[in-house]
Amino acid sequence: MTSSVLVALTIGLPWLGALCISFGVRDRSERAQHALAILFAVTSGLAALALLPTAANATILRIPVGGVFGDFTFNPDGLGVFLASVATVVGSLAVIFSVDYMRGEKQLGRYYALVLLFIGAMAGLALTGSILLLFIFWEITALCSYALISFYNDDPKAVAGGIKALIMTQIGGVGLLVGALIVYAYLGGYDISLLIEKANTLPPGVLNVLAFGFLIAAAAKSAQFPFQTWLPDAMEAPTPVSALIHAATMVNAGVYLLARFYPAFAPVPGWTMAVMIVGMLSALLTAIMALVATDLKRVLAYSTVSQLGYMVYAVGAGSILASQFHLLSHAVFKALLFLGAGAVIHAIGTRDLRKMGGLGRQMPLIRTTFIIGALALVGIPILNGFWSKEMVLEAGLSGGPAWIWIVMLIGAGLTALYTFRVVWMVFFGAPRGDDNHGATHAHDATHAMRFALVVLAVGALTTWLLIGPFSGLIASSFGAVAAGQPHELSLTEMIAEVVTAPATGIALIVIALAIGAAWWRRDKLTALGNRLGWLSRMATDSFGFEWINRTIVRGTQAIAGGLRVTQTGALNWNILGIVGGLIVVLAILAMGVAR
Amino acid sequence: MTWTPLTLVLIGVICLLGVGFYGLLISRNLIKIIVALQILGKAALIAFVMAGNVNGQTGQGQALAMTIIVADTIVAVVGLALAVQVRRRFGTMDIKALSNLKG
Repeated sequence: MTSSVLVALTIGLPWLGALCISFGVRDRSERAQHALAILFAVTSGLAALALLPTAANATILRIPVGGVFGDFTFNPDGLGVFLASVATVVGSLAVIFSVDYMRGEKQLGRYYALVLLFIGAMAGLALTGSILLLFIFWEITALCSYALISFYNDDPKAVAGGIKALIMTQIGGVGLLVGALIVYAYLGGYDISLLIEKANTLPPGVLNVLAFGFLIAAAAKSAQFPFQTWLPDAMEAPTPVSALIHAATMVNAGVYLLARFYPAFAPVPGWTMAVMIVGMLSALLTAIMALVATDLKRVLAYSTVSQLGYMVYAVGAGSILASQFHLLSHAVFKALLFLGAGAVIHAIGTRDLRKMGGLGRQMPLIRTTFIIGALALVGIPILNGFWSKEMVLEAGLSGGPAWIWIVMLIGAGLTALYTFRVVWMVFFGAPRGDDNHGATHAHDATHAMRFALVVLAVGALTTWLLIGPFSGLIASSFGAVAAGQPHELSLTEMIAEVVTAPATGIALIVIALAIGAAWWRRDKLTALGNRLGWLSRMATDSFGFEWINRTIVRGTQAIAGGLRVTQTGALNWNILGIVGGLIVVLAILAMGVAR
Repeated sequence: MTWTPLTLVLIGVICLLGVGFYGLLISRNLIKIIVALQILGKAALIAFVMAGNVNGQTGQGQALAMTIIVADTIVAVVGLALAVQVRRRFGTMDIKALSNLKG
């Protein structure tokens, strides 16, 4: 029974906190808001961590809610508890970071309420065992993401970015809902375990629709190809939100979805190949975009899409363990990078890379932690990103075609290149800022920021040591269902496996070459965008995907404008429409009865 | 075709529905539209009583009829109140004057 209490606490505490902050405290006391937000986020994180020991032999919890929707089920197994822990722990750190970052901000109550609502929904998404509830939590996270991107709602760019994110993730939500209804129609229940067990009894066509529908849902949520354009525009959000929602948790929901349903969909012909190609295109295209972007947070956003591409690729190659391990590493180091970027932006008041430079001396702690995160992102040995990325590449070499593997390798080189460029442009070289917000006013992080940064930096250095218990957790979620799926891997086994794999050596050489090239031309990096010419122009316009988006929006607006004539505003005509609709429905019913 | 009471009631219901819809579609006076709505509501009420009788669950039909009476009354009251406000604000009862929602 304890596990059900802990599940309730993990999901319920943040929501309770959101209620307390929005209705109890309002904007009367800023101190109380900070304190309450930290209290509820941290206790929820502790509850999620307390679920970890029991996750290996989890039982499904059922809450009967009457006949209509089936039972509400929660399944605190390894995969789910892992993601819930990431959500609540990184969530706690983002909330702690917010104390400094959002100090003195207006409408702080709205901010904390939405962040806490998001943390609870994300934990629920990870822990639930029913596809219908999964959909509901999925949509709550999308809603929070929208509201937080548009948090500065007097800024038109923030509002536009929020709506874009909402519409694009909505496309995925529809795929998920259709999937849930199909599962209900054919199997008579919403349980995830039911679908995984009986997937092979479904007609092949139906299973195809399900598998590719869920792939679209995952791609939209994780900002994968061809939906990658919403994530960079989501960077108008306050930086702790970017770190939490758009780097560490919500965008991982898509990868989680693919991993969760992998046993059901893997036999669908072409599905794993499609997953790998989606991952490859996302990883490669956004790595190029990151190379020419001039906005610090946008570079990190592109990099997030790129790394998510690696996780999706690993799922397609059949290694759920590698994808989830990279998810863990990425959540830690990318949250670190975002919070470090937030500290920089907070200190100098601009996000433009071209106005930074030489900031390292004024902010040594931010520089050190940011570089740790950057090295982990590049995949330098000893840091967590190295082990997980090598596992992904190794899995790709053994489970997928070689040409995709080579593209992913190029992506790894590009990662090293753009990461080096960002670090160099922010912290080294000559100061380029103008007088108003240049390096002259920069200051190092304050206490709450320091705490969050140091914890995450230590995490980036050490989380790979947890591979033993971690692989056990993931393996326990898939044990009975798919033989030959994730197996338990001890630390020494992993080290031996990674070090001896041929993929590692080649990847390291590519990364070293990229860093060498960047170092050699380090003074030219600022103007890199101009040098790449047409490639740069294509990349800044998102390889034509922004054009497609704009065309779709314009088309929709034109159709809506054309349909305006049907809105006469006259009551008689509206009633005629209603009666006409009724007659059509009656006619259809009558035909159904007659047959 | 035999003229059982059931058929007669059914014909009556359909006639009432027709009258109600006709009124809704044709009239431009707000009061007449509210009257037409009431006629539609009464048609539904009679249909429920009849359905209860056919099902052998007269009580259920009667209970629903009572509910419809209450709901219909509220519709009439709110509608008439709105009509009074419209008359005061626009000085007319013609619904053409209320087509602000024209696209």
